[in-house]
Amino acid sequence: MSKKLVHTPEGVRDIYGDEKAKKTIVERLLHEKISAYGYRDIQTPTFEFFDVFSKEVGTTPSKELYKFFDKEGNTLVLRPDFTPSIARCAAKYFMDEDVPIRFCYQGNTFTNTSDLQGKLKEVTQMGAELIGDGSVQADAEMIAMTIEALYHAGLSDFQISVGNLEYFKGICAEAGLDEETELELRECISGKNYFGAEELLDRTHVGKKDKELLLKVSDLFGGVQILEEAKKAASNKRSKQAVERLSQVYQALCDYGVEKYVSFDLGMLSKYNYYTGIIFKGYTYGVGDAIVKGGRYDRLLTRFGKEAAAIGFVIVVDDLLAAMGRQDVIISGMEIPDKIYYTEADFKEKLQEAKRLRLAGKKVELLHE
Amino acid sequence: MSENKYLTFALGKGRLANKTMDLFEKIGITCEEMKDKDSRRLIFVNEELKLKFFLAKGPDVPTYVEYGAADIGVVGKDTIMEENRRVYEVLDLGYGKCRMCVCGPKSAGELLQHHELIRVASKYPNIAKDYFYNKKHQTVDIIKLNGSVELGPIVKLADVIVDIVETGSTLKENGLEVLEEICPLSARMIVNQVSMQMEPERIKKLILELRNHL
Repeated sequence: MSKKLVHTPEGVRDIYGDEKAKKTIVERLLHEKISAYGYRDIQTPTFEFFDVFSKEVGTTPSKELYKFFDKEGNTLVLRPDFTPSIARCAAKYFMDEDVPIRFCYQGNTFTNTSDLQGKLKEVTQMGAELIGDGSVQADAEMIAMTIEALYHAGLSDFQISVGNLEYFKGICAEAGLDEETELELRECISGKNYFGAEELLDRTHVGKKDKELLLKVSDLFGGVQILEEAKKAASNKRSKQAVERLSQVYQALCDYGVEKYVSFDLGMLSKYNYYTGIIFKGYTYGVGDAIVKGGRYDRLLTRFGKEAAAIGFVIVVDDLLAAMGRQDVIISGMEIPDKIYYTEADFKEKLQEAKRLRLAGKKVELLHE
Repeated sequence: MSENKYLTFALGKGRLANKTMDLFEKIGITCEEMKDKDSRRLIFVNEELKLKFFLAKGPDVPTYVEYGAADIGVVGKDTIMEENRRVYEVLDLGYGKCRMCVCGPKSAGELLQHHELIRVASKYPNIAKDYFYNKKHQTVDIIKLNGSVELGPIVKLADVIVDIVETGSTLKENGLEVLEEICPLSARMIVNQVSMQMEPERIKKLILELRNHL
């Protein structure tokens, strides 16, 4: 064994044996639920032109992208995230389509994150996008489908936290914050950094009432009662509409019967700039970050030339598996193949037996005695 | 979600931990086990309130919290900035106050004015890099040192240093001074993102009580 050749670079890994078997099962279970909702599989290239993931689109920062050149000198990027690819694809092939289109995808994504923090640079994602439907029912379908898929995969202790970017934006607009302050404040609020936000606002000329309101946003998370509180707190129309939308989505989620997995967080703001309205994240014990990320991106397709509302989510399969492992969730359906031993003399016989069993759907491994 | 789950706290070893326990005591959270100085235990439990505490080396606290090994952590702002972990930073506890500064001999002040390439020694390479690249727009060479950073400029290893300044007496004794202040520092409370979403009521209550007390 060559000692140098057997290593993999930091941030990528081999998955084999039982772990891979479990991963395949979980992927299948997730996929079953998503396709039950009528989502059709789609496959996009592993790498694309840099512009698809550029700053204007608002995805991963450029320094975290794996970049290389083609023969003509174009910059190419290993996809860090599926949504821009799907948006590009939808704009290209479904330009004149008016009915909603439903896509489901699975594959690996690549981000060049920092070393030595135990984070993977290549992760498997499975997700779905619903394009051309801006309704409350579309929002609810996405969230309910996420919950059902996770549950179907075997996870039971999890929460989907739902927010609406419009709420925060409405308050910022009313307070008259400039873009730079809004961005900085966004960071504080999404980090639940109350005093950081306070310090920042003290440096600006925001009025006392607006300041209190902006600060309150970092506290607005919890059960459905938070929506009442949020509604009372905000006086501007945009924010009120945002809460109203969340209430309607909650109603629809009650109709699905999944409300016990749902909580709300008005201070949730994504690092992806393409999100426009409802956003949501799925949390469970055992991993430090959300295992599901999703939201509405009504203006992303415009960048590719198609006017269409859209909403989507992604499940980080590797994180889901890590969480299930730490929670001791039993993944059923793992089959260990039967072993049949043969010698040169009875090979023909044993082969017949193996063939028969394989036809009957059994897994059989032939081994020399 | 579940009432019988423990909330686990990771505290930075030393003065910070003692001050934190004093503060917690004021809002009714105690841990008698921890007061026993001879104890060699690593984890302390308050069965009544369903709380667990453990002590860790400062820079490791954000790591424990990010991965959910602890739900809540108390650690200096310097560590949070340097480690840059995905955690919620929810409270400024107000104690452990000091400053992150660029220091050096007086003559080095000139080097910070003209965007020239200089050498910076620090225990905090990420903070130093962020400050010089993104705030000052000055290209610098950063040299990571693990202690007695003040030696850097004295033995001409570096032009300036980036380090924590509390009273400034060590600097003075070695002929160095504060050239620029990067930011004020103090003890902060951080919370794991998942814990915050899974146990919002319990953690919110704790934060509110502490906030009112501060």
